[in-house]
Order: sequence, then structure tokens, then C-alpha cells
Amino acid sequence: MDQFLDQVEACVPALRRYARALTRNLDLADDLVQDCLERAIAKRGLFRPTGPVRAWLFTILLNLYRNALRSSHRRGEQVDIDSVPEFATPAPQPGHLALAEMARAIETLPLEQKEALLLVALEGLPYQEAADILQIPIGTLMSRLGRARAALRVITGTPAEPHLRTVK
Amino acid sequence: MTQISRDMLMAYCDGQLPDSDRLAVENHLATNPEAAMEVALIQRQNDAIRTMFAPAGAEPVPARLRPGRLAAEIGRRRSHGWSWAAAAVVLVGLGLAAGWFARPLLDARPASAMLIADAVNAHTVYVAENRHAVEVGSDDSEHLSTWLSTRLDTTLGMPNLDAQGFTLVGGRLLPGEPDAGGRAAQLMYEDTSKQRVTIYVTAALSDREPAYEFTSYEGAEAFYWANARITCTVVGTLPEEQMKAVAGAVYSQLTEGDVSSGQPYRG
Repeated sequence: MDQFLDQVEACVPALRRYARALTRNLDLADDLVQDCLERAIAKRGLFRPTGPVRAWLFTILLNLYRNALRSSHRRGEQVDIDSVPEFATPAPQPGHLALAEMARAIETLPLEQKEALLLVALEGLPYQEAADILQIPIGTLMSRLGRARAALRVITGTPAEPHLRTVK
Repeated sequence: MTQISRDMLMAYCDGQLPDSDRLAVENHLATNPEAAMEVALIQRQNDAIRTMFAPAGAEPVPARLRPGRLAAEIGRRRSHGWSWAAAAVVLVGLGLAAGWFARPLLDARPASAMLIADAVNAHTVYVAENRHAVEVGSDDSEHLSTWLSTRLDTTLGMPNLDAQGFTLVGGRLLPGEPDAGGRAAQLMYEDTSKQRVTIYVTAALSDREPAYEFTSYEGAEAFYWANARITCTVVGTLPEEQMKAVAGAVYSQLTEGDVSSGQPYRG
């Protein structure tokens, strides 16, 4: 197998994980990943080997997901949050942060915040790479992360005691 | 001491803070419980997100998501598409090439072949007629000659085939090939045993080139020639020797004089 396909294959678990977190549906997520991989392999000629394959794949995946969301919104289909499957470990975490509650809270985030938060918190991507994937400046990424985390804190009921001064 | 921003606290939680800043943040957290709580909160969020979603990345990857397999499928689809496209190109190319090479056969089907075919068809149609075999009978041969000469735009004498045992029955005007004036004259001769031969005459072809052809067509013998004034096809079903004798007599009588000069025949 050639090097490009090897690199793509190495990214598949991360893509599945990210797609699952975005869609909260195993089949939808794998469909999304399959579309993404097909797109990437078919257009491999467009990929410049100077950049990381991973960022390119995540960008394709997100574009496909946004397009799918747009068209499903046009059709008036909405994913019911309560239909989201239960998680394997529903045990309460330190700080009384129930996972199911957290999952629902993430669902309520605006897509642009959810995308950013999952790239950083779940995938552990460097800020710069996440910003490249989302095609936004790194400052915008940080701002989305900050808003997402503040929103989760409010939604999950944890008192937002400290008001940190944002110093530039 | 550096100011600690929210972004720095997040970077600390996300493990993306440069080493140079890490110590500053840790000192800040040690003396600032609010910041420490903020950091703990973010870390718990991160932990929760990973706890929920990270296991999906450890699941075995289904076959349909294997890049090698997908690449092979895409390649197959593509080669399929390409082979169809290639086949279409080849077929179109073949068609064009065939059309090009068949041009002489189709476009430039020899005028002689068309005239011979016309002559034989006319022969076949009218030799079967008894009362209406001709339009103008031989008893008015002078009118026949004048009429056909006018219509064909050339002077056309009636060949005398007495020596071959054939007498003129008469003649008629027929539609003809556009390239040969659009009209044709048919002269019919008959011997005592009611065998008939016809002579099919048109104005000269546009190339005015002399040509000779003796051929069989649809069961009839045809002797064709062309010169600068006319084309003439003698058609009959006589034995070959007799056919050649008749054709020779017609030829010699219709090519008297300088046939390449374009001058009309003497009547």
C-alpha cells in the first residue's frame, strides 16, 4: 500500500471517534467517515504532501458534516437529544458531573463551539492544527473554546464562581 | 510576574502551554483558588469528554473504512468509467475512420455505376410492356429524334441496328441522375423473336471524361460508355456475342465524328 493510504489509515480511528462525538450515532458517524475517506482518496491529487494528512481529512469530514446538517435542517429533520443512546459508564464523576448530563450539554452548544471543543479536548490537537482544520485564526479558536467551556459550566450547573480577567 | 489569561489557563489544561509559561501558571494557581477551580473544572470537562467519546477510537475499524479497500473500489469505478469512456472514444473514432475510408464508396460511388443501374432498371421495367413499351413509336422517328435531342440538350440520332437484326420500337423520356442533366432517353429495339435491347442515353457527366464499362447487373448485360457529349448504356439479356455486336454498332454510330470536341452529333 502506498504511503498516502498508510497515512490515511492511521487517521481512521480518530476520525471515527470525532465523527461519533459529533453525530452521537455510530452508523451516521461511520457513513460520514466513509464519505470523507472516499472523497480524500478520490481527490488525493489535490492534497499537497507538505501539510498533514490528518488536518486535511478532518477538514473534509467537517465540511461533509456541515453539509449534511444543512440539508437535514432543510428537510426539517432534527436529532432528538433524548434519543441519544446511553453511555457505557454513567457513573458520576468528581465534581458531580454526570456524563449523560455533560453529553446533553455538549449537544446544546453551537456547532462552531462543539467542533472546536471536540478537536481540542477529545482529539488533543494542537491549537494551531485545530484552527487550520476549522480554517479560522487561532484567536477565534481560543474564543470559541472559552465560550464552549463557559457554556458547559453553566449548563451542567456548576457554579461559575471565578470570573477571570481576560488579559491580553 | 506575567499576567495569567484565561487562554493560558486553558492551554495549561489542554497541555499546550509552553514550558516557559507552565511554572508561572502553576505559581498562579497555588496562590489563586479561583483560578485553580477554573482549571479543575476545565480538566473535568476534558476528562468527561474523553471518557465518553475516546473509546470509539479504540474499536476495530470496519472493513468498509479501510483506505486500501476504498482506494481499490474507487480505482475500479474509475477504470470502469475510463473503459466506458475509452470504448466510446474508440467507437466514435472507428465510425469516423470508417466513414472517411468509405467515402469513395458512398459519396463517390462511380457515376457509371449509377447510370448502369438506372439503365438496367428502366430496361427491366419497359421491356416487359407491350402496348406502352415506348412513348413515341418508331413510325415517328424524326420527331423522336428531335424531341429527345432537345430534352437531352444534345443531338441524338437513332442508331440503325438492322445489321444486327434489331429494329427501333421507339423511345421515351425518363428522369435521370442530376449529375447527367436530370433526364435520360431510352430507345428500345426489338428483333423478330421479340428480344429487346434498350439504349439509355444522358447528357455528358460534369467531368466529360471518356469511360467504358461492360458489366452484368441484376441479370442483364450492360455496356456503358461516356464521352464529352453523352453517356450511353446498352442493356439487354442477349447472349454475350450478340450483345457485343449490338453494343459495338450503337457505339460506332453514336461516337461518329470528334466526340471530344463537344460538338453536337449530326442528326
